[in-house]
Amino acid sequence: MAVLRFDEVNVGDRLPPLEKVVRREDVKAYADASGDQNPLHQDDNFARSVGFPGIIAHGMFSMAHLVNALTRWVGDPGELTSIKVQFRGVVFMDETLVAGGEVVAKDDSTRRVRLSVWTEVDRAGQRVLPIKNSEAELQLG
Amino acid sequence: MPLNQALKGREYQEVSFPVERDHVVQFADAIGTDDPVFRDPEAARAAGYPDQVAPPTFVTKMQILTSGQVVLDQELGLNYAMVVHAEQEYEWRRPVVVGDVLVATPRIADIYVKGPHEYLVIEAEMKDASGRVVVIARSTLLSRGTAGG
Repeated sequence: MAVLRFDEVNVGDRLPPLEKVVRREDVKAYADASGDQNPLHQDDNFARSVGFPGIIAHGMFSMAHLVNALTRWVGDPGELTSIKVQFRGVVFMDETLVAGGEVVAKDDSTRRVRLSVWTEVDRAGQRVLPIKNSEAELQLG
Repeated sequence: MPLNQALKGREYQEVSFPVERDHVVQFADAIGTDDPVFRDPEAARAAGYPDQVAPPTFVTKMQILTSGQVVLDQELGLNYAMVVHAEQEYEWRRPVVVGDVLVATPRIADIYVKGPHEYLVIEAEMKDASGRVVVIARSTLLSRGTAGG
């Protein structure tokens, strides 16, 4: 796989958006793989009892999808050095989750690149950002 | 009821976490990534890694084990039904690979109040067998409306 070079990246470049339709079985698979068995992500009755219309995806499920978008773009998962996300909204089943990002800084001396990153869903015509005000850093060659 | 501020800085029992091949594949399947370095040791070696690579957020699995001790601490007074995951941070010093045995001592890095809510910051430095830091995980949990007492 081709690995992204520092010189190929410019401030303002956009991360290629990565889409995923969030299915109930995906969220269950994530619960089993991560060990987070909170009923909020599996049991509709429980989710309704705490005020949601049905189960929601784990925040970390969305974060993992965002990291997929980053590592696919870079071509080497080892070049991701940090990520800090804020969870500011929920994701419901059958919504299309889109991971996005934009290069905001480049450091020539360290060859590190910083991106502003987010996830978004279209909810009844409104653009909602379940992850926002978030940043990732890559160490490129 | 507010959280027990006196627990700021408390450290918990060390957790050990062996990174196993099957778990890495299961996690890669669950997050929907098809990069061969997460699945095939030969592809990983060809890319310069000592063995099959764990997807970066695979360490969430270990983080859940470590933070479990904190949220269940009776002295802390956290009502898990009121908890929302507000922030998550990872710093990777190197990629995690199959065969690593990570150890971490989770710690309450901070407890603070903002408006009606309280925030609990749990930090875990995950080290390898040689004692080098591999990943630092920092989770901020929001306890809804508990600041007022």
